[in-house]
Amino acid sequence: MAARENTVTYENTRLADYTYDNSIERGSIDLPFALLTLLLLTVGVVMVLSASFARAYYDPSGTTNGNATYYFVRQALFALCGVGVMFVCSRFPMGFYRRISGIVMMASVALLALVLVPGIGEKANNARRWINLGFTTFQPSEITKIAVILFFSVLICNFKEKMKTIRYGILPFVVILGGICLLLVMEPHMSAIIIILAIGMVMLFLGGLPLYWFVGGGLGVGALLGIGYALFPYVRDRFYAWLNPFADASGDGYQIVQSLYSIGSGGLLGLGLGNSRQKYLYLPEEHNDFIFSVICEELGFIGAMLILTLFALLIIRGFWLSMHARDRYSALVGAGITTHLAMQVILNVAVCTNSIPCTGISLPLFSYGGTALLLQMAELGIVLSISRDVAEKR
Amino acid sequence: MFKKRREKKSLTSPNSMMLRRTLFLMIVCGIVAFIALGARLFKLQIIDHDTYESAAVEQQLRQTTVSAHRGTLYDRNMNILAMSASVSNIYISPAEIKMNEENPAYIAQGLADILGLDYNEVYEKTLNTDSWYATVARKVEDDVTEQVRQFKENEGRNAQGELVTDEKDHKSLTGVKIEEASKRYYPYGSLACHVIGFVGSDDHGLSGLELYYDKALSGTDGRIVRATNANGTDMMFTDFEDYYDAVDGQSLVLTLDQTVQFYLEKHLETAAETYDLQDGAAGIVMDVNTAGILGMASLGNFDLNNYLALSPEAQERVDRADVHTEEERDTLLEQERQLQWRNKAMSDTYEPGSVFKIITLATGLECGAVDPDTSAFFCGGSINVLGRTDPLNCANIYGHGDISLAEAAKYSCNVAFVTIGQMIGAETFYKYIRAFGLFDRTHVDLAGESDSLWWSDDVFFDKSNLSQLAAASFGQTFTITPMQLITAVSAVANGGYLMEPYFVSEFLNADGTVASQREPKVIRQVVSEQTSKTCCEILEGVVNEADGTGANAYVPGYRVAGKTGTSEDVVYEAVHGTKKYICSFLGFAPADDPKVAVLVLLENPGPDNPYSVGGGTMAAPVVGAVLQDILPYLGVAPVYGEGEEALVDQRVPRLVGKTPEEAKSILEEAGFVLKDTVGGGAAVTAQMPAANAKVAAGSEIILYCGEEPVLEPVEMPDLRGLSYEVARIRASWAGLYVRGTGTMMKSNYVLTVSQSVEPGMMVDPGTIVTVTLNDATKAGIF
Repeated sequence: MAARENTVTYENTRLADYTYDNSIERGSIDLPFALLTLLLLTVGVVMVLSASFARAYYDPSGTTNGNATYYFVRQALFALCGVGVMFVCSRFPMGFYRRISGIVMMASVALLALVLVPGIGEKANNARRWINLGFTTFQPSEITKIAVILFFSVLICNFKEKMKTIRYGILPFVVILGGICLLLVMEPHMSAIIIILAIGMVMLFLGGLPLYWFVGGGLGVGALLGIGYALFPYVRDRFYAWLNPFADASGDGYQIVQSLYSIGSGGLLGLGLGNSRQKYLYLPEEHNDFIFSVICEELGFIGAMLILTLFALLIIRGFWLSMHARDRYSALVGAGITTHLAMQVILNVAVCTNSIPCTGISLPLFSYGGTALLLQMAELGIVLSISRDVAEKR
Repeated sequence: MFKKRREKKSLTSPNSMMLRRTLFLMIVCGIVAFIALGARLFKLQIIDHDTYESAAVEQQLRQTTVSAHRGTLYDRNMNILAMSASVSNIYISPAEIKMNEENPAYIAQGLADILGLDYNEVYEKTLNTDSWYATVARKVEDDVTEQVRQFKENEGRNAQGELVTDEKDHKSLTGVKIEEASKRYYPYGSLACHVIGFVGSDDHGLSGLELYYDKALSGTDGRIVRATNANGTDMMFTDFEDYYDAVDGQSLVLTLDQTVQFYLEKHLETAAETYDLQDGAAGIVMDVNTAGILGMASLGNFDLNNYLALSPEAQERVDRADVHTEEERDTLLEQERQLQWRNKAMSDTYEPGSVFKIITLATGLECGAVDPDTSAFFCGGSINVLGRTDPLNCANIYGHGDISLAEAAKYSCNVAFVTIGQMIGAETFYKYIRAFGLFDRTHVDLAGESDSLWWSDDVFFDKSNLSQLAAASFGQTFTITPMQLITAVSAVANGGYLMEPYFVSEFLNADGTVASQREPKVIRQVVSEQTSKTCCEILEGVVNEADGTGANAYVPGYRVAGKTGTSEDVVYEAVHGTKKYICSFLGFAPADDPKVAVLVLLENPGPDNPYSVGGGTMAAPVVGAVLQDILPYLGVAPVYGEGEEALVDQRVPRLVGKTPEEAKSILEEAGFVLKDTVGGGAAVTAQMPAANAKVAAGSEIILYCGEEPVLEPVEMPDLRGLSYEVARIRASWAGLYVRGTGTMMKSNYVLTVSQSVEPGMMVDPGTIVTVTLNDATKAGIF
């Protein structure tokens, strides 16, 4: 009760909807959410070792220098850092995030612009998406995703009932999303656009935007896909490769076909941990976007379903924490982050199983990639921060 | 307080709509989506598991072939007729040349120099840098391969081909590749080419025994199956590897005898030249008791080591042909090649003509229609046959008069044989044809055997038309292969047993041990020993009596039996408008205990043929010559009858160093006459002709004792149209000597037909001239 009294002192601050900023009186983090995260992270790092060693070994002249554990060691180090980052982030009060959200937004947009500058942004596969920090590279679009969640939540909290109007409920969001998308198109970075647009829409959905806007928005997205299909040949190619990957099994359909071979080879119980055969250079991006296919091959249907269940539990727990968040801002941020996590997991697995057309979406906590992992851990840390303010943890 | 909290909650906490929508998201993202993904995984991993797994395994397993060594072909005496040796294929990897920054011009120049290729052609191959494999040369011999290997080693040079002093700069050429392969060698070149056959570039047989026994010769290639990564190298930690050992091919020991084959081909080639044969010749030498084939030839020959090359004549035909496109030329080339590769001795059928009378004779004797002692025939030159409007003519249109069965065979009397055929009857005749295996293939173990063609039963058995039976009695109006004929006649000769002819007597394992042996296979006894014996006696008369049509096959010291044949190719005549004769002779010896049979077919004598056409004049001497060479080789010693030895040319003994008296007695013992002794020395210092020269028995020898022979050129007399003895005497008048070939028979009809030195030429005294003898009266269609 004392804690509750304490919080009242903040009622007259700028944060009119009472996002609490007191870290002294906060509760402990949500144990189920933290344990699920650590469990998945551990399995993920082990799977990176299993999936990547063949590629690392057979690349004697490349970055790995033939060192089979190259990717594993790096990922493990980032995972350790990530755990630290998560707990640090869980300690910052939500008010802190609310205060810095504007700055984060502006910084991310600046980085998105910066990455387009040749010499700063690194180009690979005809896309300029990476900034090289020397010891690692990172994608500014990863930060943008967090920025959208944090900043949209602030806007929604500020606009409150005005969210039902076009001027407040639609315009600012469309302008921001439009600008971000424009920058991403110039990279280009299709999968980031999809994720960010989806996050934005979910935020508006939670923010109380009338449902008919989503009907219209759905139609609009459909129209955009139609235009993309008509204008860009590579979109068409991906579409056809999705419908019948075996028609061009060595060309456009190669990734999908190899992924299906991996998943199908697994059967019920799998070939055993470390025994994937498809990872021997057949399956592309096997420690990255297609790591789930290796999981399916090695751990079988049982293992894959177990991991999916862990993810589902984490996601449900994330939403549950959001619903029980003490304030609206926390609820929005928590739901946004959980949605982001869910979206990445669902889309990644859907791509691996050829349930949707192929696009480069990584599997959170599993796919190899240092900065992406750190940022994911930071996001989950924010959820843990929210959980500290949840009074009744069941 | 309570109210305040509520107020605050409504102000700051998520409102109910937000909660509803979050709950909605939770259900969609946390449950529904995962159920859908789970269902999808179930479909892929459980339902479609087998499909994907087998497809994945297929791409993960690599199969490497370990080629088995192809077996060797040996003749009867283990002479190697065909063998495989390892060679190399040279290829380049343009992609690696580019990747490792090697100098394509340097590589092209080096390879072109070593392999004797055109530089530009090789250079062009290096430019296709997408390719990892471009063949430069196939089946390169070991010594050349070694040069390529050294070039690839690139000692003392860098990748650019420049000389370097520092060993560190040395780079071997990764773009040059050497691959193991094997090459088939045929040590005798064209010998028995149609029997041995050849292999294609894949080392598998395309014709002859190489094709028929391809499976046994090839053995089984070994395989290594292993799991590999996508680059084709090993999968780490996955020791999945299966070995299937290669089983080397078996070697074959043939019944064929390289020496017999050589004589057969030699005499056929001589015949082809002498008679100006337009369509070549064919011949088979068969062991009559086993039906093992000792020799088989089908001229013109081709070189097995270069089986695509045409003979000069055929090449000229192609070059001269009126073709406009490359395609037409290729078709023509292919036709000529097929013609060249065709084994006439078993792939072509023909009307055997009078040689077939052997079968009619044996059938008549066996079924009791005729009797060697009592049967008598009258030949008036022709005979009327039921169903024919015009009478059937005999070769002798004036008729043979009253003749016995032996004489009918000896003179090859058509009238008599038509009569014999009618005495046998159509049904019985066909019964024996079937028994002799002439309706079926012989099933000889060689690819390309043709089927015979006979009248159908209802036509042949027609009681109102006996013309088919009549013609068949002397070998016309049906076609069989030479192989079928010699197999059937061997049955007549060997005591009546029809055998299955064969080429391969033993299969050897790779280590030289015998895998299996083939025993001669008796199909059935067709005629009795007695019939066989009678036939041999009658057929011996055809050759060994001066008035027999086969007299030209006579070999002094040997009892040769046989039968002549001359057939007209009616199909050829219909197509080309000119007559085509096939002159044939089938002889076997010795007649009292037959060992070997020889069949020779001479096809289409041309305009430059000096002989009158007929099996008796042309084919019989060839068979005689073959028998004369192979009988002693096969261990059949000559047994000379009275005066026969004098028919055989003798070697002049070495007399130098002997006293004149000694020399005289040696000469006389050897069957020669001393003509003169020049000089008064105590010992012979020179002789004419020289020692070891082969000349006619009874030749007159000159000895020189201390004096030098005077060599004043003399004019070569005309020795044609004479008997051998007269020719020898005529030559000795001019101080010359003769040696004979052809029919060395004492007969009023055997005369010299040609001489090796033209009349009128000036030659040294003592020159030996070879005269060819022939009984020219044996010309005609019999």
